[in-house]
Amino acid sequence: MSRIQVEGLTKRFGEVAAVDRVSLDISHGDFLVLLGPSGCGKSTLLRMIAGLIEPSNGRVLLDGRDVTFAPPRERDMAMVFQSYALYPHLTVERNIGFPLRSRRRPRAEIRQKVHEVAELLDLADLLDRRPRELSGGQRQRVAVGRALVRDPGAFLMDEPLSNLDAKLRTATRGQLRALHHRLGSTIVYVTHDQVEAMTMATRVALLNAGRLEQVGTPTDVYDEPASVFVAGFLGSPAMNLIPARIESRAGRVQALAPGVEVPLWAADDQPAREVTLGVRPEHLIRVPPASGSPTSQSPASQSPMFRAVVEMVENLGGEEVAQCVVGDARLLARGPRPLGLRPGEPVVFDIPANRVHLFDRASGRRLVWQPTGADIPRDRDQVTVRVSDRPGSPGATDGDPTVAESPEGVLDASIV
Amino acid sequence: MLVELAPLAAPAEHVAIKAARPPVPRRMLRALPPFLYLAPGLGCLIVWTYRPLVEAVQLSFYRWNLLPTRPKVPVGLDNYQQVLELPALRHSLWLTVATIVCLLPFSVVLPTIIALLTRQVRGRVSVLYRALVFAPVLVPPMASAAMWVWLLDPRHGLVDRMLGQPINWLHERGPAQLAIIGITGWHLLGFAVLVVTAGLANINDEYSAAAQLDGATRRQITRWITLPLLSPTLVLLALMTVLLSGQLTFPLIDALTQGGPDGATTNAYYLLWEYGFKSFNAGLASAAGLAFFLGFGLIALFLVWLFEKLSFHDN
Repeated sequence: MSRIQVEGLTKRFGEVAAVDRVSLDISHGDFLVLLGPSGCGKSTLLRMIAGLIEPSNGRVLLDGRDVTFAPPRERDMAMVFQSYALYPHLTVERNIGFPLRSRRRPRAEIRQKVHEVAELLDLADLLDRRPRELSGGQRQRVAVGRALVRDPGAFLMDEPLSNLDAKLRTATRGQLRALHHRLGSTIVYVTHDQVEAMTMATRVALLNAGRLEQVGTPTDVYDEPASVFVAGFLGSPAMNLIPARIESRAGRVQALAPGVEVPLWAADDQPAREVTLGVRPEHLIRVPPASGSPTSQSPASQSPMFRAVVEMVENLGGEEVAQCVVGDARLLARGPRPLGLRPGEPVVFDIPANRVHLFDRASGRRLVWQPTGADIPRDRDQVTVRVSDRPGSPGATDGDPTVAESPEGVLDASIV
Repeated sequence: MLVELAPLAAPAEHVAIKAARPPVPRRMLRALPPFLYLAPGLGCLIVWTYRPLVEAVQLSFYRWNLLPTRPKVPVGLDNYQQVLELPALRHSLWLTVATIVCLLPFSVVLPTIIALLTRQVRGRVSVLYRALVFAPVLVPPMASAAMWVWLLDPRHGLVDRMLGQPINWLHERGPAQLAIIGITGWHLLGFAVLVVTAGLANINDEYSAAAQLDGATRRQITRWITLPLLSPTLVLLALMTVLLSGQLTFPLIDALTQGGPDGATTNAYYLLWEYGFKSFNAGLASAAGLAFFLGFGLIALFLVWLFEKLSFHDN
């Protein structure tokens, strides 16, 4: 049983704040993944939770108890290190049994528990080996075993899969998820790998330069990134981010940039505004050159939205990624192979309006269409729902005009 | 009709494929540079270490008084028989071993304790502290011997005045022994502390972090993690003590007691020197030297083996 609360946690190394006023509430049974690029402070944050680093400011609560300055041994947490930190002079058996030995448990009990864990992790034949005689995957399992053996309240994991090869990593991801499911304990997991975050987490916390950018389920952070950083970090290839301008034209709010003209929703009171337009590569729909419109019966899509030129096409096996240039910006489109695009060709893409993300140009925060207008015509929206290749998908964002309800539409930067 | 794809073309199993290779002289010329770099070092080693060793083996079968005009008389194994029978030699050997054992606290135990206790000292203070600890190493043995003669003077010496007792440090059997060991230890200590500190710095902090999370107390971590991982360094220091105690004590014995009183501080190395260069008995000195060489060589081999066994290379 462990609920971990972090309140305004800060760690400064000299002038630099490695972790800057981070607050998190990790409830019991959560699999929280701290995700971010290297150097974003996620390991420092984990080590402060573990008690290995003293914070400069803020506090850590464990089940409501303030443990900010309590030594690690007084927190009921086990940790798996990136290097595994297996004691090189001890056998696998003694490595796994170490947490029990340091708590002065009787020998018979240690033996029994170690054997149970070894059985579970398929290490029973390796108990007499020393760490240097093990393969990378075996070492990783011993490190997990050492954390598992004393049934801690929470597990802390610092990039435990980064030293494994790709195939083993995929297999171990599944095992960790199964383990979490079985134990039901709290796990705080640090990684820079978005696939690990998306596949294992119940919640993802994105960190950038020591600050928390967004906390939410994997679906939340992928479908509704709260900032340009989150949008650009998640997805492979990441979201296209194009500097654009929001304007009302002929009763319709549009996002405009060289070669880009995206009708968003009907409203004529939106003041012009500099934004960053975000579009995921897999949401771009190619408009067949002949018709000039994705579906012939859609009346609102007469003006094509991205006029691009293909530069290069990458073959990923199952899919293809087309690198295009639109205006002065780069635009990636992803889809099943073959995309039917060739370098040098002009191409036109469409996008469902509910797949469009808008961010403030200066602050980088997500812009949400504050739902106001009562009688807003919804033609454009209905069209996109029909055209979209994923009808009824969870991507109905706050920026989606279908949720607009009250009379005045105001585009506002709001902190999500 | 189903047609199986042909496997990729590969040469038959026993066909040797010849690749272009530069001619032998060119290859030898290319392999030469490393040996050229090594040549000066190897040359010195041969001239100053291996040649004297071979000559010592030869000399040990002769009687000779070091005068070039005098002939070397072959005596077979007589010198070795004398080595085994001379009581002075046996006593000196015993003394040498005792000295080494008494030096181990200064070269292994104390440095470990000091290094562990001062591990927390960081930043600029640590530079100052290390300089202070290391300073005695930089004092030449002869200079320190001269200084210690004053300090240990029974009538006016600082040591006796602080103790409030007139102890004749350099001219009584027991105190003279203690003085030699104490001064050598003082010389060794700083260097040993530095070696242990370096050894501690080499131990990955992650082990201690992992142990803390595993619930170990500071003492448990020291006992179960730090000391075992430090043990190769400690063995290395023990090895150094065994091999260098002769060189470290010799100048002190020569300057302070000349092996006295009544041969009480004459250790094996000092005795060797006396045989060779005071009694001019080159054959006996060589034979005794070789006997010691073999004895300490075996101890050193054992310690090297122990060092290898205790070393855990983390990756």
